[in-house]
Amino acid sequence: MTLSSLLPLFAAIPLLLAGLSVVFRRRWLDRTMLLALPGAALVGAVSLIVYHQSHSVLAHSVGAFSGVVAIPFVSDTFTAIMLAVTSFATLVTSVFLLKTGEDRFRFATALILLLAGGVNGALLTGDLFNLFVFVEVMLMPSYALIAITGTWRRLGVGRSFVIVNLVTSTILLMGVGLVYGAAGTVNLAALAGLATEDPMVGLAITVVLTALAIKGGLVPVHGWLPSTYPMTSPGIMALFSALHTKVALYAIFRIYSVAFGEPAPWMPVLLVLVLATMLVGAFSTMASKTLRGALAFQMIAGVGHILVAIVVMTEASLAAGMFYMVHHIITMGGLILASGALENTYGNAKLGGLSGLLGREKLLAILFALGLASLVGLPPTSGLWGKAGLVFSAAAAEDASGLSGGWIAGLTIGGIIAASIISLIGLQRVWSTLFFGHEQETYRPDDPRTGRGEPQVLTRQVRCSARLLAPATVMIAASVALFFAAGLVLPLFETAAHDLMDPSSYIKAVLG
Amino acid sequence: MILAMTVGVLAAGGTYLLLQREMVRMVFGVGLLSHAANFLLLASGVPAWRDEPLVDRMDLAQAADPLPQAFVLTAIVITLAVTIFMLALAVLGHNDDTRRAPETGETHEK
Repeated sequence: MTLSSLLPLFAAIPLLLAGLSVVFRRRWLDRTMLLALPGAALVGAVSLIVYHQSHSVLAHSVGAFSGVVAIPFVSDTFTAIMLAVTSFATLVTSVFLLKTGEDRFRFATALILLLAGGVNGALLTGDLFNLFVFVEVMLMPSYALIAITGTWRRLGVGRSFVIVNLVTSTILLMGVGLVYGAAGTVNLAALAGLATEDPMVGLAITVVLTALAIKGGLVPVHGWLPSTYPMTSPGIMALFSALHTKVALYAIFRIYSVAFGEPAPWMPVLLVLVLATMLVGAFSTMASKTLRGALAFQMIAGVGHILVAIVVMTEASLAAGMFYMVHHIITMGGLILASGALENTYGNAKLGGLSGLLGREKLLAILFALGLASLVGLPPTSGLWGKAGLVFSAAAAEDASGLSGGWIAGLTIGGIIAASIISLIGLQRVWSTLFFGHEQETYRPDDPRTGRGEPQVLTRQVRCSARLLAPATVMIAASVALFFAAGLVLPLFETAAHDLMDPSSYIKAVLG
Repeated sequence: MILAMTVGVLAAGGTYLLLQREMVRMVFGVGLLSHAANFLLLASGVPAWRDEPLVDRMDLAQAADPLPQAFVLTAIVITLAVTIFMLALAVLGHNDDTRRAPETGETHEK
């Protein structure tokens, strides 16, 4: 019994508890598990981060098989950081779901626990096939969560969400099969550097990465994300935005850096796609008709920023990309939950449907101002350090894959600045249509149990309750805290990036 | 070669069906596509006929590669589950061109 044998528990306990919640249907039990499990995972992940300060990689092979046939669970600083942030986001979102009463939906607790288990497993696994399995474990409850919450449009978008994700999973599975055919193993540690040495393995890994890019929401295969996410309920969208695309991006970081180890031959293509992702996401924000529609397109723009790290592929850029990913999970979670508080109180969050809220919702106005500033990259929020880190690391880009470092630096920095300015234009419109303008006189309240009511007079008493705003406040406060505590947390990301660029200790821990 | 062609035909047929509008055809398309993926996985092992991979009974040199078989088994289970879910979605709100709220008994956003 060593410390590393506790790693599979991150995935096993949520899966077991999900089963328990289906068998014993008690509301107090559901509520307790919904809060205790992400809380416990958060504590576990934070202690993992502390542990990794002195020990680099922790690996466990399930069933004590050894070598390439083992099913490895691996944790290093990057894994631990992602575990901590996703657990934190799940915890805060769970609180929100309890406040809106969405945990009352049939099997909602079991589904959320399953989702958390799948995410933890996907983050920890060191094997491509198990990655596919855990991604499926993560998606199955998501299909059901879309079906039980949100507006009636969910029935339509549920279909496109299922089909896009299933076809993508099939591509991922085909990629894994090709990797096995070409390399004879799907153990990531055994694949280290093989993608560069053997073009056949390189192609197979590229198929895997393509599938993950679709799941991550890279332009031109991003269309499913902004058309499905805003139709789910705010709480579920916050959960999905923190978990789904980010797990895919985490896997891209991990697989690309271990299997290729250096810029891939198709890096110039990725550069073009990343630029397109940032700009398309930022531009589309301007045309969104709903608040969460605008946020969904900002998620696309965020994916572009995060993948700049992979284009530049230096230690500094990877650290900046990871920091940006953490910032994005927290900020986006806060904004979506704030939007959820708005929707639960005023019935909808159509841009143009709500206006003049500044007088009645001062805290919400501040939260939105901070959150949107964080997306643009303005102080005093974590977005500034995220974007600054990316720009500085891109400025030091080296020649790669036939492109000179100057071109890479110029294009990525230009893209980041252009996307930030366009986002600023789009997001200030979002803020000003919500909070400035005529004070509203009527509204149509929405209730998860009775549905949408008839128009009523909007009295002074109608406010977002403090309980609904609390989760969003915690997330936005975390984003601001990340701005002031950047000096404390940045070394963590540097260690994580160092381990990612030099996978020797990862390989040693997994293969022994 | 036959295996490769089968994969190609299945993937082409699956893609064609996925591009249709009706949900049930798309479900069939996904079915074909996942069969293509399963054959591809099998092809990544040794495609020729081999003995069953049981360590104490067979000579290891004669045994088939068990790993792709395990992959395929897992993939089949997952696809089956999602297919059932998609068929349930196909039954709900059967008119794909609907612009009106289907009768779900809810009075949410209209």
